[in-house]
Amino acid sequence: MGRRWVWFWTAGAIVVLAIAQAYAASTITLGVAGPLTGDQGAIGEQLKNGTIIAVEEWNAKSGVLGKRIEIVWGDDQHDPKQAVSVAHKFVNAGVAGVIGHFNSSCSIPASTIYHDGKIVQISPGSTNPQLTERGLWNVFRTIGRDDQQGTIAAEFIVKKLKKTRIAVLHDKTTYGQGLADETVKTLEKAKIKPVYYGGITQGEKDFRPVLTAVKQKNPEALFYGGIYPEAILLTKQMRELGMKAIFVSGDGVWQQEYIDIAGNAAEGSFVTFTPDQTKIKEAQGFIKKHRERFGSDVGAYTTYSYVAANILLEAIAATKSEDGPKIADHIRKAKWNTALGSIQFDKKGDVLVSPFVVWEVKGGKFVEVK
Amino acid sequence: MKCPSRSMPLHQRPLLRIVLASVWFGLLSLPLMMELQAPYFGLGRPLMVSAVVALIGLLRVLALQWREASTGRLERLLGASGSAARHLTEGIDQRLLYALALACAIMIPLGLNRYHIDVLTQVGIYVTLALGLNIVVGLAGLLDLGYIAFYAVGAYTYGLLSTRVGLSFWEVLPLGALLAAIFGILLGIPVLRLRGDYLAIVTLGFGEMIRITLNNWDSFTRGPNGIIGIGRPKILGFTFSDPIHYYYLILAIVLLTIFVVDRLNRSRIGRAWTAMRDDEVAAEAMGIDLMKTKLLAFSLGATWAGFAGVFFASKMTFISPESFTFFESVIILCMVVLGGMGSVPGVILGAAMLVILPEMMRQFALYRMLIFGGAMVVMMVLRPQGLIASPRRAIALRHTDSRRPSVVSPLHTP
Amino acid sequence: MLLQQLVNGLTLGSVYALIALGYTMVYGIIELINFAHGEIYMLGAYMGIVTFGLLTALHLTSPSSGATLFLMIVLAMLFCGACGITIERLAYRPLRNAPRLSPLISALGVSIFLQNFVMLAQGPRDKGFPHLFVHGGIDFPGGRLSAIQIFIMATSVLMMVALQLLVHRTKIGKAMRAAAQDKQMASLVGIDVDRIISVTFMIGSALAGVAGVMVGMYYGLINFFIGYIAGIKAFTAAVLGGIGSIPGAMLGGLLLGLIEALGAGYISSEYKDVFAFAILVLVLIFRPSGLLGADVSKRV
Repeated sequence: MGRRWVWFWTAGAIVVLAIAQAYAASTITLGVAGPLTGDQGAIGEQLKNGTIIAVEEWNAKSGVLGKRIEIVWGDDQHDPKQAVSVAHKFVNAGVAGVIGHFNSSCSIPASTIYHDGKIVQISPGSTNPQLTERGLWNVFRTIGRDDQQGTIAAEFIVKKLKKTRIAVLHDKTTYGQGLADETVKTLEKAKIKPVYYGGITQGEKDFRPVLTAVKQKNPEALFYGGIYPEAILLTKQMRELGMKAIFVSGDGVWQQEYIDIAGNAAEGSFVTFTPDQTKIKEAQGFIKKHRERFGSDVGAYTTYSYVAANILLEAIAATKSEDGPKIADHIRKAKWNTALGSIQFDKKGDVLVSPFVVWEVKGGKFVEVK
Repeated sequence: MKCPSRSMPLHQRPLLRIVLASVWFGLLSLPLMMELQAPYFGLGRPLMVSAVVALIGLLRVLALQWREASTGRLERLLGASGSAARHLTEGIDQRLLYALALACAIMIPLGLNRYHIDVLTQVGIYVTLALGLNIVVGLAGLLDLGYIAFYAVGAYTYGLLSTRVGLSFWEVLPLGALLAAIFGILLGIPVLRLRGDYLAIVTLGFGEMIRITLNNWDSFTRGPNGIIGIGRPKILGFTFSDPIHYYYLILAIVLLTIFVVDRLNRSRIGRAWTAMRDDEVAAEAMGIDLMKTKLLAFSLGATWAGFAGVFFASKMTFISPESFTFFESVIILCMVVLGGMGSVPGVILGAAMLVILPEMMRQFALYRMLIFGGAMVVMMVLRPQGLIASPRRAIALRHTDSRRPSVVSPLHTP
Repeated sequence: MLLQQLVNGLTLGSVYALIALGYTMVYGIIELINFAHGEIYMLGAYMGIVTFGLLTALHLTSPSSGATLFLMIVLAMLFCGACGITIERLAYRPLRNAPRLSPLISALGVSIFLQNFVMLAQGPRDKGFPHLFVHGGIDFPGGRLSAIQIFIMATSVLMMVALQLLVHRTKIGKAMRAAAQDKQMASLVGIDVDRIISVTFMIGSALAGVAGVMVGMYYGLINFFIGYIAGIKAFTAAVLGGIGSIPGAMLGGLLLGLIEALGAGYISSEYKDVFAFAILVLVLIFRPSGLLGADVSKRV
């Protein structure tokens, strides 16, 4: 190999690197983190879709601050360790902000790293109160908190359904048990003690033993803190065992799969979730666009991540900077008109108005309860 | 003795084999990959699988032909990397090499960004864990599938003592290791009489029991919410906050571990472990106290997991039971076996590979774990003794079936 | 409640037993803990859905006929058997003479590979199992024995009896027992040990496939991850009964199911696995080779 070749390749490499650098400097990156693969991959998909649409809309308007917006993905597979790894990667890559994570157990350790790296984080799905209670300036969330959700569920059971014998189950995760505990707190304020309180293991299929034990206590309602795979099984098995208790749960169960797979057993179940997006006129455009782009309906968290991405990008545009503290300040101060209506954040980074209502499974669909 | 088989593949006709193999795999992948709604039932994907298999088959045939065409060159190239490395370095003083490696370990991270440093720190943690497990599995031959439990003990000890009692990192470091060692003994006692694979399931159970208890004992461990706000190490008023600080700390721990493990390996207890691994009955006949040896293996192995756990908790400042699953135990075991059981450099290499490769493959996102699983199988099939087999093992493997080393073989050097 | 828990436990246990049989048979013959076995069970469940989809799309049978169910089970058995043989050839046979742990790691690699393959091919979401004809049941004071539970228990018993007959009354069964006892001697008396091992894998995997289809029917919901947990449970069951012993796997499976059901019902659903493992440890302390395991005397 002659010397000439060496120079050629070196020159070529330099040119390529220079182009890459220039390209990078003319883009703004957003980090999106969540369980993109694995057993919660369906939820990760919702995070992806929401952000993709937001970014495409902005890029169609020549991006933000004159630069194109790029997304870098971080898959944490709902494992806190991987979440930390992703966080370091994002800080390194100099992202302008992070949409994520989904699981509270991932958002919490990641937020410390984003805090140290001075990067704003908006979570579209972590509902555990701890995330914002620590008062980190860079943490926000567009979804509500479990203490809000649990309160609403408990009050519904007591006041609307007028049930007093209530069994409580959870899936032993940060989210599920947190939600269940908040519900129990509200129940106890109303002087009601659950007739059964216990946990099940995520990933297991057979809950008949537990449900048989619960059945012994003759509950009128069963509140479950957890997500839809186990909720489906619990509901089905409850009916198979001949239990008539009403099934109540939280946002993790507000998925069409729950109704599709649980079938008739799911009729008459109640689930807390945000108000009907199809009734929010600001959301119509987004819902239509999602159907056109992806051929499916929005999921539970798609709009939240869409809103989060938009807020982040708007804040960057408004402050004309990628500086974390400035962006965070702006997010906190401004009033946001989003696809979910008007949103404002409090000092801790939570949305001011508790956005949870109760939905019922009626006729194979989720119907908002008035 | 290799079992004779009349159903040897038709090695006279490699092309026919390739065709048959790709048809077979295409058929196997058909049920799962076809889509009834798609045109042509979505047969495109199984056909792709067939094509890939055919390609691999062809590559293999070509590789074999190349090997036959140039035997000498290939043998030298593909020869055992461990012994090759040894050949190369025989001339150089070992200590110079170690000094060079140490210098690299100290200097290189200074030029890397925090993400890479974090990955290297993770490598350090897993190296410590793998070396600890190496004592139990590689040296003493006790198949421990619940090793992660000791890691959890260390982590939670620091987590709890830091947030509830306010003890500092340095105070808890020895405590965590000690507590892990005690748990090691607790695990060892009921399994003393158990044979190989029964031991495996009990250790697996132990690991799961610890994790489930951590997850459910809310009042003590805060259950699935985990422990938050764990203190960072401090020296003379200086708090560890940057990834690079943690890196040097784990580097120190790793060096200590390597030193101690190496000493143990060469000591009487190390020989006792190896004797026990190769043949329990003969070892007992030679006067080795099996109970003490086993318990020592468990507890000493657990100690390193304890150290690693305390470090892990201080680095993450947040721990939850989700980090201590059976799968983690499996990964550490893979590091030990892939690297070469019983050999310290092998285990280090195995740990490094199994941490760095998945991180490097992040851009393949979806296919990452698929490739990982496949790579594990390929690695084992191509090189079952691990990347760098330990010298003792290498000799044993060459002469006998290492599962039941023949007492009669005159070539079997201990 | 006790009766209902017993029913729950026995049904659960039958499923564990079927999967445990595969574990124990393979271990008996090549001393390998086949970690990929749980994934084979998962493949069987998916095969059930695929078969059902195919049959109804081609309008060959109606969703509520017994023929559909029969075909689902048979095709799952064939598919899983084929997968079992392939895996053995690729991942275990080359490691026959390797150190003991190498095939174990290989098995783990296969397990990870299969999980992710199915996740990529079929999607990470849970898949609903088709609603089949098995409805109704028998009510008794304190509970209900559903038709599907009866079906599962009956099929399991049938399979186990068939297996026992195969192993003890046929020539190939004799060959299997011989190979399990002493591979070298078996080959010396003319048994093709490689073929026997393949047959063992095939049968064990086929049984796991049946378990997969039945579990799909029972719970109505499957995903690519179900093999992981089932694998650990079945392995525990096999060890409990004495690994290598076929009646042991059956007993271990049923017992584990009962322990889990009773533990979850009466003690605590959260600690039921701890309870199960504690019992396992106790049993092993008093009988180190499992309940029906061969008494391994130390030959010096």
